[in-house]
Amino acid sequence: MLKRILFSIFSLLVVIAVVMVLVFSLIERSVIFQTDDTWNKKSNNDRIIYEYTQYSKYQYLNYVDFTTYVGNIYAEKLGPNYGTDPDFIKDSKSVQYATTYLDNELVQKFIKEYKDKGYEIRYLEPIKFKSGKTKPGGNGYLIAIQEKNVLLRLWDYIVHFITVETTNDIQDPNLTERYIRFEADPYGGPFAIVGSGTTHKYLLYFNNRFPFIHQNWLHINLGTSYTTYRGQEITEVINNPTGDLITSRQQYPALLGSDEFEETAIDFHSVTYNKGTISDFEKSLFTDGYTVYKYNRGGLSMIENSFVIGLIAVVIAYALGLPLGMLMARRKDRLGDKIGNAYIIFIMAVPSLAYIFMFAAIGTSVFNLPYKFANAEVKVLAYVLPILSLSARDVANLMKWMRRYMIDQMNSDYVKFARAEGLSEREIYNIHISKNAMIYLVHGIPATILGCLTGAIITERVYSVPGIGNLLTTALNRHDNGVIVACTVFYTALSIISLILGDLLLAAYDPRISLNEDKGGGR
Amino acid sequence: MPKKNITNQDELFHFIDSDTISSEKITAPRYSYWKSVFRVFFRKKINIFLIFAMAFILLSAFILPNFWYYDYMENVTDPTTFNLNPAQAMERFGGDIKWVLGTGPYGNSIMYGIVSSARTSLLLAIICAAINMVVGIIVGAIWGYSKRVDQVMLVVYNIVANVPYLLLVSVLVYVIGSGFWSFVCALTITGWLGIAYFFRTQVMIIRDREYSLASRCLGTPVLRVINKNILPFLTSVIVTLLATELPSYISMEVFLSFIGVGLSAEVPSLGRMISQAQTAFLSYPWEFWPPVAIASAITIILYVLGQNLADASDPRTHM
Repeated sequence: MLKRILFSIFSLLVVIAVVMVLVFSLIERSVIFQTDDTWNKKSNNDRIIYEYTQYSKYQYLNYVDFTTYVGNIYAEKLGPNYGTDPDFIKDSKSVQYATTYLDNELVQKFIKEYKDKGYEIRYLEPIKFKSGKTKPGGNGYLIAIQEKNVLLRLWDYIVHFITVETTNDIQDPNLTERYIRFEADPYGGPFAIVGSGTTHKYLLYFNNRFPFIHQNWLHINLGTSYTTYRGQEITEVINNPTGDLITSRQQYPALLGSDEFEETAIDFHSVTYNKGTISDFEKSLFTDGYTVYKYNRGGLSMIENSFVIGLIAVVIAYALGLPLGMLMARRKDRLGDKIGNAYIIFIMAVPSLAYIFMFAAIGTSVFNLPYKFANAEVKVLAYVLPILSLSARDVANLMKWMRRYMIDQMNSDYVKFARAEGLSEREIYNIHISKNAMIYLVHGIPATILGCLTGAIITERVYSVPGIGNLLTTALNRHDNGVIVACTVFYTALSIISLILGDLLLAAYDPRISLNEDKGGGR
Repeated sequence: MPKKNITNQDELFHFIDSDTISSEKITAPRYSYWKSVFRVFFRKKINIFLIFAMAFILLSAFILPNFWYYDYMENVTDPTTFNLNPAQAMERFGGDIKWVLGTGPYGNSIMYGIVSSARTSLLLAIICAAINMVVGIIVGAIWGYSKRVDQVMLVVYNIVANVPYLLLVSVLVYVIGSGFWSFVCALTITGWLGIAYFFRTQVMIIRDREYSLASRCLGTPVLRVINKNILPFLTSVIVTLLATELPSYISMEVFLSFIGVGLSAEVPSLGRMISQAQTAFLSYPWEFWPPVAIASAITIILYVLGQNLADASDPRTHM
C-alpha cells in the first residue's frame, strides 16, 4: 500500500510537470497579447516592459525592475512616504542616462545581486528624438529576468503548495505585538484562536455557517488565477459562496461595547493585515492593522453547487439504474428489456449535448421549469433540470453494465445450485446474482462520487450553473495558466484517490480479493 | 444375339485403389466464419434497413457537397438574410432545396451546411477510428503479451491517462492549429492509449489460456501465437470497440466545438453549427435541431450496426 501511495505521488508530480511543459513551453506565449488593448497602445521600451510584467504575472518568468527594487529599499528605510525623497528620485532616474548609469552604487548592487541569483540582466537604453527629448514610451529601464524552467517551476509549486501562517508573516516595523492565543470571539463563536503578525487575524473560529468550524491557519495553494479571477487563489475561488450579500446587524471592532450598530455584510472573521497605509477612517473603526475584509455571501460555493447537483444525480442513478438493470436481465428479450435497451442506445450514442438541450427544451416548455440558473425564481427548481440531465447518462450506464453482468452470471453453477435447492427466482436474482454482479460495479463508486467534485462541463454551461465544471475550459480560453495547473492537480489527485478508494472498497466488498501483494494468484 | 451385350463386363465395373487422402475427409457441413457472421447479421431485418440508411447518409455526405458548394460567407453582407426560418427563406430565395431548412446566423444555407458538415464529421470519425484502432490494437497486443513491455507501458499509461484529456487536446489544437488534419492529430496523439490498455487486458486473459500455454510450450513463435491464437478470439471484441469508437469521435467533435476548442471556422462541421446555434436554440430552432438530428442519426446508426455486428461476430451466436 505504501508503495502504491508513493507511486501515486510520483505520477502526480510527473503529471504536473507534463502539464507545465504543455502550458508554459508548447503554447506560444505571445498569444496573451492578441486581444490586449493596453499592449497595442504601448510603444518602444514601455511595450517591452509591459510584456515582461505580463509574462511574470502569467508565471512564465521571474522579473524584477530596477525602479521597484530601489523603491523597496527606500520604503524600508523611510516608510511609506519615500516617493518624494530626493535621493530616491536621483537613484531611480539614474538608469535614464545610457552613458553614466553604471556609476550609480545601487545599480551596481542590483546587477551583482541578481546576477548571483542566476538572473539575466537587461538594460533598455532610453530612446530619444534628435532634439534630445525622450520618445513616447522610450524611458530607459534596467531589469533582471529569470526564465523558469520546468524543474524550477515544479519546485516552486511544491514548496508553496501548503503554507502555514506564523507570527512572522507580516514584516512591518509598526507591528509591535506578535502572538497566537485564545480569545473570546465577539462575532458569534464561543472563542477563537487569534493571531497577531499572521496574515489572517482569526486563525480558528466558529460561526453558524456549515461546517461551523473554520480555519485560516493552513492554506493549500493549488494555484493563483490571473485573468479569470484577478489574483485570487483557486482554493478560495471554488470555496467562496456565489450568492447575494447577506447583511446583519454588526459592530466594528473599535465600536464594540458601544451602542453603534450597523447593517453590514462585512465578515469580520475574514480580516487580513493591511500592508499599505491605514486611513484615519479605518483607524476609527478597527483596533489594529487588520482592516482588509471580505463580505458575507449566501448560497453555495462553486464546488458545493457542482457537488450537490452531481451527488443527487449519482444517488438517483444508483437508485434507478441498478434495479432497472436487474429487471432487464430478468426479462431478457421481452418488451421491458427492449425499451430499456432503446433508452441505453439513445443515451450512449447521441452526443450528450443533444439530449441535454432536448431536456432543456422539454423541461422549459412542457413543465415550465427554469432554464437559466440565475433567472430562477424558486432556487430549488433550478436544480431539477441539471440533475436530470446529469443522471440520464449515469442511469443508462449503470443499467447497461448491471444487465450485462447479471446475464453473464445467470448460467453460473451457483445459480443452478440455488435453483436445485428450491430457492425462488426472486431470491436468486435479488440476492445471489445481483450481489455477484455488483462486484464489478463497486470499484467505480468512489470515482463517481468524487467525480462530482470536478463538475459537469456541458450541463453547467447549458443551464449557466455557477459551478466548477467550466473552470478548466475558461482558463484554457483565457490563458489563465495558474488555474490550468491547479485544475490538473485537483483532477489528478481526485482520480488517484478514487482509484485507491475503489480498490479498498472492492476488497471490503469481496473478501476473496486481497490488496496484499504477497497473497493471491496474480502474476 | 443377347449374349454379346454382356460380354464386355470390364467396361461396367473397374477396380479403384484405396485412397488414403479421401478417407481422411470429414463430411460435416462446412463452417466459414465470415459467412456465418453475415448469416446471423442479416437474420435481423433492422440491420438491412440500417445499412440502407447508412449508405444513404454516406453517399449524400460524400457526393452531394461536390454539387452543393457550401459557402459560409455567401450572404454575409446582407443582414436581411440572417436567421430566416424555412418559410421566410423559401419566400426570399425561391423554392430551392437549398433553403428548405432556412438560413443560419450569417444567411448561410442550413441544408448545404449540414451536408458538408456531415462529410467532415464522418471523415473525422473514420480516419481517427482507423488510426487509433490500428495503433491501439498493435500496441495492445504487444503490451498484453510481453511482461517487460507491460511494466513500462503501465507507468506511461498511469501518467498520460491522468492528464485531463481536454487540456491535452486544447493545447495540441493551440500548438498545431485547428485545421482538419491538425484536429485528427490532436485526437489521435494519445487516443490510441485507451484502446491499447483495454486491448491489453483482453490479450492477457487469453494469453494464459491452456491452448496458448500449449502453443508456447511447443515453441510457436510469439507473432504466430498472437496472430493465430489470440487475435481471432478477439474479433468480436474489436468490432464492439469499433462500434463505440466511431460514434464517439462525432460526439467528441461536437463537444470540443461547444466548449470552443473545435475545428477552425473554414471547416464546416456539425459541432460548429451546433455550438453557434446553441444560444438561440429556443428562438431559432431550425438552426439548432437539424445538425443535432444528423449527428444523432449518424451516431445511433453506427452504434446499433456496430453492436449487432459485434453480436454476430461472436462465434457462440452461430449455432
